[in-house]
Amino acid sequence: MLKQSLVRPVKHVLKNLSILVLLAFAVISQPTFGAENGGPEGVIIKDPGSELWRNVRQRQFAETNTQMKSVDANILIRTSGESWRNYRMNELIPRAGGALFLGLFGVFVFRLLRGRMNLPEGLSGRKILRFTLNQRVAHWCTAILFVVLGLTGLILLLGRKFLIPVFGSEGFSYIAVTAKVLHDYLGPAFAISLIFLFVLYVRDNLLSPKIDLQWLMKGGGLIGGHASSDRFNLGEKGWFWIAAIVGAAIVVSGLVLDFPIFGQTRETMEYYHFIHTVAATIMIVASFGHIYMGTIGVESTFEIMQTGYCDSNWAKEHHDLWYEKVKDSAINGESASSAVGSSQKESTDTA
Amino acid sequence: MATMKFYCDAERCIECNACVTACKNEHEIPWGVNRRRVVTIKDGEHGERSLSVACMHCGDAPCAAVCPVDCFYTTDDGVVLHDKDICIGCGYCFYACPFGAPQFPENAAFSSRGKMDKCTFCAGGPEDDHSSDEYKKYGRNRLSEGKLPLCAEMCSTKALLAGDADMVSDIYRKRIINRGASVLDWGVNYDKAKLNS
Ligand code: HEM
Ligand code: SF4
Ligand code: SF4
Repeated sequence: MLKQSLVRPVKHVLKNLSILVLLAFAVISQPTFGAENGGPEGVIIKDPGSELWRNVRQRQFAETNTQMKSVDANILIRTSGESWRNYRMNELIPRAGGALFLGLFGVFVFRLLRGRMNLPEGLSGRKILRFTLNQRVAHWCTAILFVVLGLTGLILLLGRKFLIPVFGSEGFSYIAVTAKVLHDYLGPAFAISLIFLFVLYVRDNLLSPKIDLQWLMKGGGLIGGHASSDRFNLGEKGWFWIAAIVGAAIVVSGLVLDFPIFGQTRETMEYYHFIHTVAATIMIVASFGHIYMGTIGVESTFEIMQTGYCDSNWAKEHHDLWYEKVKDSAINGESASSAVGSSQKESTDTA
Repeated sequence: MATMKFYCDAERCIECNACVTACKNEHEIPWGVNRRRVVTIKDGEHGERSLSVACMHCGDAPCAAVCPVDCFYTTDDGVVLHDKDICIGCGYCFYACPFGAPQFPENAAFSSRGKMDKCTFCAGGPEDDHSSDEYKKYGRNRLSEGKLPLCAEMCSTKALLAGDADMVSDIYRKRIINRGASVLDWGVNYDKAKLNS
């Protein structure tokens, strides 16, 4: 019966809660009553209720009690929920949406300007072990979980705007509840996976100021000629440290949100939701660059994370200093696939 | 149409928690879910006051604004209701609500909360009026029978008022004029205000 009266009250957002609460009581709590309200002539009568509510709103009271045992039950009015609402609706959603769009657009422009990065000498057919099985498993676990968590998180964040018009209210509810459950249960797995990733990759991602600075001055080889690099260049190191540091912020804040069993207050939850969403947005946008470079951006790169082996010409082109160290371990292409399992330990420079 | 509002007169509320109990009983609300609660300020001190709070059925409801699945709606009577079939139990409405009105049947690991539950102003939900589905999910639908919320109806001191905002406002205004000041404060001088019936 009431369904036909689905009124969407999201017209405009009130700037602060005092207006909001006043709205709730506007009709009721006029501060004073006098003759014009039918009261006695010449006497101004204060409404004790309005003063009480004002004090309550401003949290004038040190201690409030209630018989309810739930979190925050003794708090009558809490104004910071309104700041969180403004954050999520007026800042996070439009800005995260904008950042995602700009990120994709940036990758597109980069592609137009730079084109696909090919190997000038083509493939040599000789293979060098670049990633051990452990490293690849850690990479793909983290990557798949990251994509699933990112997509499910974005469904919760942007779905109301973009998916409800497509799937309808009920259809989107199924999608959203699936997204939520996946997000909530896979989140902790991502935490574990990220720790493995960090341990297995950190060694070669430590900064080496001289090489990295040179690489930076040459814009990674885009300006000023070929930029030398060891096993990972500064761009890759940057992504690694974003994944490690921003990723850690996502993990910690995500776990606080995911386990509301320690009596976290609403204030705590809002705070960690803020960290979680800002960090997630940064990491998702940064991942666009990484995913582009690792798939269609650079010739013969995607297969390295599949097989663990890179072509020796690829190594020479992109990681010359590393190539010099490991070129003697190069093997013929055909034997590379059969060697995947056995020759892991031979590689000199893998963790 | 009317705009329904609650108002709790702190000069009258005696913290008996009968509204809380009546609500729980009327709607068969599970343990741990409190659609209404009484909060006492300055308990045991001079100036002690109690207020009964539940969902205030906001005009521009923050809960409705933040809900990721957009499951809230406002009835013609200005009552803010939600659809439990759509709700995913994310808890965001609870973060945004100024009054802490949204409640959850559980609060478990992996963010499992169950469907949100809150005061319906005794107006049920989107299901057919008086259907067993409606009763199971949202409790009694008194408003459609022309009755006001039970908490206010049975309040022994009539501290808790519920109904059309204009009428609630009128009743409260008359009380204030008649009282002249806070009857609970020290030094009340009834002579200062002429008592009119
Ligand atoms: C340890 C890992 C993680 C955990 C435990 C976790 C947990 C959570 C929880 C509990 C929420 C609140 C909503 C809900 O109950 O589902 C949430 C929201 C969110 N998460 Fe995660 N998360 C993790 C990783 C990630 C990652 C890697 C991303 C993105 C790449 C991400 C993106 C988001 C976004 C965008 C939201 C906001 C949804 C909204 O405000 O509507 N999360 N996360
Ligand atoms: S649940 Fe809270 S925010 Fe929503 S209408 Fe009720 S009082 Fe307002
Ligand atoms: S708990 Fe339910 S009603 Fe509340 S914001 Fe989440 S989906 Fe909406």
